[in-house]
Amino acid sequence: MAMFEVRGLCKNFGGLTAISQLNLEVEEGEIRGVIGPNGAGKTTLFSVISGVYKPTRGKIVYLGKEMSGLKSSQIAARGVVRTFQRTALFHHFTVMDNVLVARHLRAKGGLFRTIFGTSRRIDMEQEKKALKIIDFMGLSHLKDELADNLPHGHQRALGIAVALASEPKLLMLDEPVTGMDPTETQHMTDLIKKIRDEWAMTILLVEHDMKVVMGICDKISVLNFGKKLAEGLPQQILDNPDVIEAYLGGEDVVALLGGEEAVA
Amino acid sequence: MLKHKVLSIIGVVALIAVMSVLPFFVREYYVEILIIFLINIILAVSYRLIATTGDWTLCHVILMGAGAYASALMAKYFGWPFWMTAPLAGATVGLVGLGIVYPMLRTVGFGFFITSLAVGEFIRLSWIKFHNPFGGPRGMINIPEVGIIGSIDFYEAIPYYFMTLVITLVCLLILYRIDRSRIGKAFKSIYEDSVLAESIGINVGRYRSFAFVIGSFFAGIAGALLAHRLGAIDPHIFGLDEMVYLLVWVIVGGSTTFAGPIIGVAVMTILFEWTRPLMEWRPLFFGVILIGFLIFMPGGLESLVPKFTRLFGNRKASQARAEEPAGAKKSVV
Amino acid sequence: MELTTFVQTIANSVISGSIYATVAVGLALAFGVMQMANHAHGEFFMLGAYVVYVFYALGGMPFPLAVLMAIPTIAALGLLTERLIFRPTRGNVLAGFMATAGLTWILQVLAGRIWGLGFMKMIPTPYMGSATIAGAQIGLQRILIVPAAVILLGLLWFFLHRVRLGKGLRACAQDPDAAALQGISINKMTALAMGIAGAYAGVAGALMAPIHAVTPYMGRDLLITAFIIVIVGGMASIEGAVLAAFILGFIHTFVTTIFDATSAVMVGVAFMAFILIVKPTGLMGRVKA
Repeated sequence: MAMFEVRGLCKNFGGLTAISQLNLEVEEGEIRGVIGPNGAGKTTLFSVISGVYKPTRGKIVYLGKEMSGLKSSQIAARGVVRTFQRTALFHHFTVMDNVLVARHLRAKGGLFRTIFGTSRRIDMEQEKKALKIIDFMGLSHLKDELADNLPHGHQRALGIAVALASEPKLLMLDEPVTGMDPTETQHMTDLIKKIRDEWAMTILLVEHDMKVVMGICDKISVLNFGKKLAEGLPQQILDNPDVIEAYLGGEDVVALLGGEEAVA
Repeated sequence: MLKHKVLSIIGVVALIAVMSVLPFFVREYYVEILIIFLINIILAVSYRLIATTGDWTLCHVILMGAGAYASALMAKYFGWPFWMTAPLAGATVGLVGLGIVYPMLRTVGFGFFITSLAVGEFIRLSWIKFHNPFGGPRGMINIPEVGIIGSIDFYEAIPYYFMTLVITLVCLLILYRIDRSRIGKAFKSIYEDSVLAESIGINVGRYRSFAFVIGSFFAGIAGALLAHRLGAIDPHIFGLDEMVYLLVWVIVGGSTTFAGPIIGVAVMTILFEWTRPLMEWRPLFFGVILIGFLIFMPGGLESLVPKFTRLFGNRKASQARAEEPAGAKKSVV
Repeated sequence: MELTTFVQTIANSVISGSIYATVAVGLALAFGVMQMANHAHGEFFMLGAYVVYVFYALGGMPFPLAVLMAIPTIAALGLLTERLIFRPTRGNVLAGFMATAGLTWILQVLAGRIWGLGFMKMIPTPYMGSATIAGAQIGLQRILIVPAAVILLGLLWFFLHRVRLGKGLRACAQDPDAAALQGISINKMTALAMGIAGAYAGVAGALMAPIHAVTPYMGRDLLITAFIIVIVGGMASIEGAVLAAFILGFIHTFVTTIFDATSAVMVGVAFMAFILIVKPTGLMGRVKA
């Protein structure tokens, strides 16, 4: 059985159908790309999976257990965490504090330990783990800097660090390279691959930058108008006439055919 | 960093030393003021703990009142001593907080604010309505004193002051530890970005409740201290005006750092006493101060202490926060 | 409950509801347009009553004219409040609310200094006599509140739905950014909203002046009720506020008649808590998608 499944998922907002009869199966250790034109329902899909919205119909199954309708915090506790399309950070916290607070889920020790001061060992352990993640994302030199003061690329990296700190097994990245220049983009792409390789992570990736998508995804699912349009290996998707037509007319086409980065 | 820590500790010790000798150098009237001052500090710092999640309430003074009534009732009708009734009063108010937080959690920001006002009023009105046991509009009188322990009569101002000082310091220590812990960080993360916090496993509803219940507990303790000092309480001393005074302390002092509210209570208590001759004009004066601070110095007085004293709190956070208006997030509801 | 009492209570409920509605719509409008939470709304009400005191009781002006004088007077106060308090704190609802709490103190002290504390101002009743319905006697002074409120609420509806400026207010409440893009001046809208808020609260106070004791603190209890109404109605919904106003008018009046005033407020709060649990967005509030 697949590690993560979406079965017959539908999501309506009032009269608007954002997702319709969507099925997805993701294997453990996979990097699955989720692409599609703007408005195809990709971010909505992430929001439904991560518990921000409840499904109108259908099921979300993770490690064999159903997850639909749970709160985001419960879903995160199960090991499914997403990053956000907007740069979501604790802006007035330092980089270190951002990651530390995300360790919350996995740090043991309750209120009494806190008050009576015996949590020192636990605190140091958490700091070590946080530092490891910060290091991994290449942010060590900035660890005491306010998140707000970071340049954009580093802020996106921090967003991923925060997600990683809660020790997910399924990581959902929502447009991780938005607003990055080619160097940063390449760097991030390598990092994402490293995350999968070194942290035994399964990754769902929403991205407009086709180079990135083609570069690291094992399999790609294409959405359009809330439905699955196509699914398969990267090259199959590139050659798929329906996919090309869906993107036809937009700058995305250029990117699809391997040109400059798409304008998101 | 270490230098800051050492300086901070010296500063705190110095303050405690001052507070310990002060009562012997002032008239008895001022010792009573100091007792109330300490009680208000517990109230203000516990209020700020709740506010770190972004929840500003309008029922905190009433929760203090609930603690006052609880302690008074237990002492009067069960005959229990203060060292029992005070923590029990705190626990009672904590439970009350747990009970009322459910409808309140359904709202955020301003809706939450007004809901807390209404719920608080409900509680206050029940003291007015139910003569038995609360005494109705006249309140309760003849609240048992703390009494004589050993050879010290706590009816006297100075002994009561020192008892209050010790209790206040213990409360502040606990509140400080909570604030600096990962639980405190979780609270602040909710204010920063509650959707993000939820996505990394922080159950926002549960943590908001948690902050509220802890804050309520300490408000209850403050209430117990108040009841046994005044000897008599009535519903009107826990009204909306008093609640707005609490807000003035927290806004004037600042709510980003732990010490902010303490500064606010100190400054406003002094101003309050200085303006006593102008009694009828006093509320107007404070209204002007409140408006002035909200428009011109929303970060509070704590934002004026950037480099020097880092008593409590996170330096960079408070520097950044100084730019933000005090209070909850922008455009919430 | 016997018939006479019942009819009396119904009449009083309608009258209460009318006053509540007149007060609450201004609050809902100001809040809806730009999240202006006016803590001093009760004092707008109070000062409206004092306008009647000054012009009618002291100045001898005919009562209807004195009531009308409350409109520009308190509207001006509303405009000042918007300009001096709400505009600098725009974007931060709580700051605006707390700053107007400061304004409350200022206005209360000023009213007390100017017109004195202690004695409640006794305002001669302009319309003596009463009507009798089903054995219940209802003072004319009180009855006239209902048509006055209906006219005022009708005018407001007309303004918001048929007049360009009013429609701009509604646009601003729905989506300030879109409204700005269409060339609507936000500042003009916020000023207008607060002007209306002041005018309506002031008129309500003016109408109540012969009935209620006129003191600097007469707006206090009303404020909490007004906010409860706005919340129950659905934060920014005017229709919701009117509906909630009458519901609460009925609740308060009936509970006061059967039990007492304190219980009435408590039941009102319980009702609000109930609504919040069942429908957190209020009776007619919209969920922001």
